[in-house]
Amino acid sequence: MRNPIRIALSAILILGLLAGCGSNVTLDTPTIPTPLIVKIPASVGLRLPVEFQHYVHDEEIIGREQWSIDLGNSNAALFTQLFGFMFEKVTLVSADENPADLPIDVLIEPSIEAFEFSVPNQSKTDAFAVWIRYRIKVFDQQGTEVANWPVSAYGKSQKASISGSQALQRAAILAMRDAAALMIMKLDEATGIGSMAAARAGNGPVPESEQEQPSDIE
Amino acid sequence: MILNKRIFWNPMLAVGALVLTGCITSRVEDSRINSTGIKSGEGVVVMAKSYHLGNETEEDYIQCVERGLERGSSGLRVIPHRQFVDSLFPWFEPRTAPSETKHLPQLMDSPGVVERIAEQKVRYIIWLDGDTERVAGGGSLSCAAGPGGGGCFGFAWWQNQADYEAAVWDLNELEAAGTVTTDVSGTSFMPALVIPIPLIARAQANACKSLAQQLQQFIVGDEGDDSA
Repeated sequence: MRNPIRIALSAILILGLLAGCGSNVTLDTPTIPTPLIVKIPASVGLRLPVEFQHYVHDEEIIGREQWSIDLGNSNAALFTQLFGFMFEKVTLVSADENPADLPIDVLIEPSIEAFEFSVPNQSKTDAFAVWIRYRIKVFDQQGTEVANWPVSAYGKSQKASISGSQALQRAAILAMRDAAALMIMKLDEATGIGSMAAARAGNGPVPESEQEQPSDIE
Repeated sequence: MILNKRIFWNPMLAVGALVLTGCITSRVEDSRINSTGIKSGEGVVVMAKSYHLGNETEEDYIQCVERGLERGSSGLRVIPHRQFVDSLFPWFEPRTAPSETKHLPQLMDSPGVVERIAEQKVRYIIWLDGDTERVAGGGSLSCAAGPGGGGCFGFAWWQNQADYEAAVWDLNELEAAGTVTTDVSGTSFMPALVIPIPLIARAQANACKSLAQQLQQFIVGDEGDDSA
C-alpha cells in the first residue's frame, strides 16, 4: 500500500516545479519626480488608447520559462502625470470626443509599438533589461496628423539582492522613466507643439517649416 | 559536556578563521588633477556611470562605497544617490546625465539645478565605472545523497576580478578633481571531502573598502584648513 503522505509530498513537489516554470510580473503604478523644467505654454488633449489601460506582454523564453508582464494602468498613469508636468493644461480626451470641440492646441495620442525584455540567462549577465518603444502622434485641432515620433526607452536592473520578478519590474519602471526623461528633453523639439500653440495663441498661421513632420527623431 | 564541546570546537573555529578566505591581490591608485577639500556640511554623491554607455557597476557596490565613505574619523556626508537623482529629475537619468565636466556649465544653467544642488550641499559627484567579473575557474566537485546520508567530493576554484574607477567632479569649480582606481583579483577555493569548505576571496568587498578609503583621503585632500 502506498504511503499517502509520500504521494501528497510528491504532488506538492511536482506542482511547485510546474509553478516555477512560469513567472508573472504585475507593475505597480509608477510615479516620476517633479521635473526641473519650465512648462510648455500649450493646452494639450491626451487620448490614451485602450492598450494603455491594460497592457500585458506574454513571452516564452524557449526551453526555459513563461513570463507574463502586466503593465496594467502604469503607462496611462505615467503619461498623464508626465504631460501634467510638461504642459500648462492637459485635458483627457475619450475616444468618442471630437478634438475640434475642445479648447486644446493639439491632441497627443501615444501608443506602445513594442515591448521586449531579456533575462540573465539570455544576456549572460546578472541583469534584467526592458526595452519599450512608444509612438507619439500629434494631431492639430482639425484632426490632421502633424507629428509622428518614436520613443525608444531602455531600463536595466540587477538581480543582486532582489528576486527576478522584482528586478524585471524595476527594469520596466526604469524604461518608462527613461521614456519620460527623453520626452521631457526632446518632445517639443521633435513635434513642434510649443510653436504650434504659440502660433494659435497669436492667431497667426503655423509656419511652413513647423508643418513638416519631424518623423523618426529620437 | 559543555567543556568538552568547547575544547573540540575552539581549535576548529580557529583553523576555520585562518583558512576561510581565498587569495587576494589588490592595487589602489589615485590621479589628482586639481586640489580638493571639503567644508563642514558639504557632502558627496556616489553615482554609477550610465548603463546606456555600457557600464555595469552593481547597485550593491554603490551602496557599499556610500557606507564606506561615511565611516571613520574622515567620514564624509553622503547624499543617497537615488534621492539626488530624483531631486534633479530629469538631469541625472542614465540617458541625460552629463558624461564630461564640460557639460556641467550648461547643466547648471538649467532651471532649478543650481538651487537643488545647493540645498543638498553637494560638493562632489563621484562617478563609478567598472564591475566584478568571474575571469577563470576550474576543478570538479560532485555531491551525492542517499538514504544513509550524503556528501561531496572534489575541488573547485574560481577567480573574480573587481576593477573600478571613481572619477571625482568638483561642483564648486565645475571641473574634474581626479580619479581613484582599484583593481582586485581574488581566487576562491572549495575543497570537499564529504563536507565542502568554501574559502572565499571577497574581491568586490575588498575593492569597495579600498576604494572608499582612498576616496576619503583624496577628497579630504590637501586643503587641511577646510576639512570637516
